[in-house]
Amino acid sequence: MYARLVSGAVLGIEARPIEVQCDVSGGLPQFHIVGLAEKEVTESRERIRSAIKNAGLSFPAGRITANLAPADLRKEGVGFDVPIAAAILIAAGECPAPPNEYLYIGELALDGEIRRVRGVLPIAIAAGDVVDGLVVPRANGREAALATDVPVYPVGSLAELAGFLRGEQPIEPVCVDRRAAMRSDPPPIAFDLAEVRGQTHAKRALEVAAAGGHNLLMVGPPGAGKSLLARCLPDLLPPMTLEEALDVTKIYSSAGLLEADTGIIRRRPFRAPHQTISYAGMVGGGHGVPGPGEISLAHRGVLFLDELPEFDRRVLETLRQPLEERTILLARAGLSVRYPASFTLVAAMNPCPCGYLGDPVQPCRCTLQEIHRYRRRLSGPFLDRIDLFIEVPRLAVEELLGARGAAASLDVRSRVAEARTRQWERLRDEPTVFSNAQLDGELLDACCTLNDEAQSLLKRAVGRLGLSARAHVRILRVARTIADLDGAETLTAGHIAEAVHYRNAAESIGD
Amino acid sequence: METNDPNTAGRQAEEDACRFLREHGYEIVARNWRTARGEIDIVARDGPTLAFIEVKARSEEGFGGPEAAVHPAKQRRLIAAARAFLHVTACDLASRFDVVAILDGVPRLHRDAFQADEACTPDW
Repeated sequence: MYARLVSGAVLGIEARPIEVQCDVSGGLPQFHIVGLAEKEVTESRERIRSAIKNAGLSFPAGRITANLAPADLRKEGVGFDVPIAAAILIAAGECPAPPNEYLYIGELALDGEIRRVRGVLPIAIAAGDVVDGLVVPRANGREAALATDVPVYPVGSLAELAGFLRGEQPIEPVCVDRRAAMRSDPPPIAFDLAEVRGQTHAKRALEVAAAGGHNLLMVGPPGAGKSLLARCLPDLLPPMTLEEALDVTKIYSSAGLLEADTGIIRRRPFRAPHQTISYAGMVGGGHGVPGPGEISLAHRGVLFLDELPEFDRRVLETLRQPLEERTILLARAGLSVRYPASFTLVAAMNPCPCGYLGDPVQPCRCTLQEIHRYRRRLSGPFLDRIDLFIEVPRLAVEELLGARGAAASLDVRSRVAEARTRQWERLRDEPTVFSNAQLDGELLDACCTLNDEAQSLLKRAVGRLGLSARAHVRILRVARTIADLDGAETLTAGHIAEAVHYRNAAESIGD
Repeated sequence: METNDPNTAGRQAEEDACRFLREHGYEIVARNWRTARGEIDIVARDGPTLAFIEVKARSEEGFGGPEAAVHPAKQRRLIAAARAFLHVTACDLASRFDVVAILDGVPRLHRDAFQADEACTPDW
């Protein structure tokens, strides 16, 4: 009495098909799960036994062996409960083998209820057209239906599943029209720039950051509104495309952070980890199959690091490579997982440890040495990845009490969208470059044509400020974005002047 | 018949248990099947399944009732004996462990009371 069926294992945002085989034979009542199963998988024996009995089904006597193939791939997670239970029921003759090949996934509660699991979306994508249908926990139904055109059967309990397999109780498949889901109204703006008083300069810098995908560092005293400004950034970016939204949803599904029945994620992520975050928390890791870190959870969105110098230096340095490559490879013995990590970095810091250096009212109490030590925590190579440096000064009383800002997020977003469209048009032949922030070398030169006035201004600025070659590159990238916002193809002196201005603040941070 | 002789009381309980099991459709195969490592009170067929049955009787509630007497050490002895039984009789039926707990003359049947792999790891 033998049964086999299909399930899946998540590896990062990819998934591999797993064949679940089950044999029920004579002998002493024993139940073994083999096939490189981690502890949580072997523990499922107790859940499966109780769930089958409590669902009013009979747990077979004799010897039961379940095998998860391929046997050389480590299996973890609780999603194998349902496929193993279904295989036992079929092998024991309690349910007939269904005529169609389904993929099964889900965790069992002791009472036979089927609980939601993580990673259903990647599994549904991988299973794609290979199987005739997916049997998933009810709470994962919409998530699974996003990815595939085969029927998705949501089940709430083992008893329901048995009824379905016996053909006694048909289940209505869930259908999600993903194009229609994307066409409906985009999520409302969570933090509107109009809510931030004053700080016109910083708002303009945010617009430039959004338009060109540039990383941004804000320096200013506590309470100037740095965090609020950062929170506005995700909504300044154009709404996510279907592919982007699926990418983000896949990562959240794999991390187990999708809320039940959400379906697709349409709001760009905003992640603001605390300064005490560990290395694994930032780039990803953990025992078993490494999970995504904050940089991947911020994919297609914004990673906000408040109090930048307070972060562990080692953690900051690990960001350097993903900031360049926009992806992270977590290599472990015997298995490596790649997560996307294409995010805009927004960092904020105080000008000095006490926070009041340069403040017109509050005197700074730090010694020169303290200030020096504070700024030295940020390495040159790390700061090199940041294109825009701005000062966010404390608001004067008139500004605090004055009218709210004029720039509303929706207006900025439409200007950003136009600037992005110009970039995509220009970079149509470049498969890996999507924004001005990624321009480099010959491509940068090809994209930036300066008029004479701009040419001479840039020359003077480089000479007067003693700018490095790297700084020069960054000024050009930012100027390109400013021109795109302006709707201009040729860079003018005005564009260069603004870009140089965003560099100037960097010198004060000791770059 | 009132008696305090443990052996006689045990016999009586097993008699009662057999009658009780037959009423439930069991077909008795063997009684007091012994090996050096343990003894099985009753071996019976329940449809396609072979059941190894342990009988425990108590005249009053206490110490967790008769069921509590089928503790892990006892389970291991039963499993060893059952394994020997299957080996000696060359039987390849699917098998199961049942317990008949008799409290003050009232029998209770626990089907599939424990599994052969559970008691393999001692839980103390």
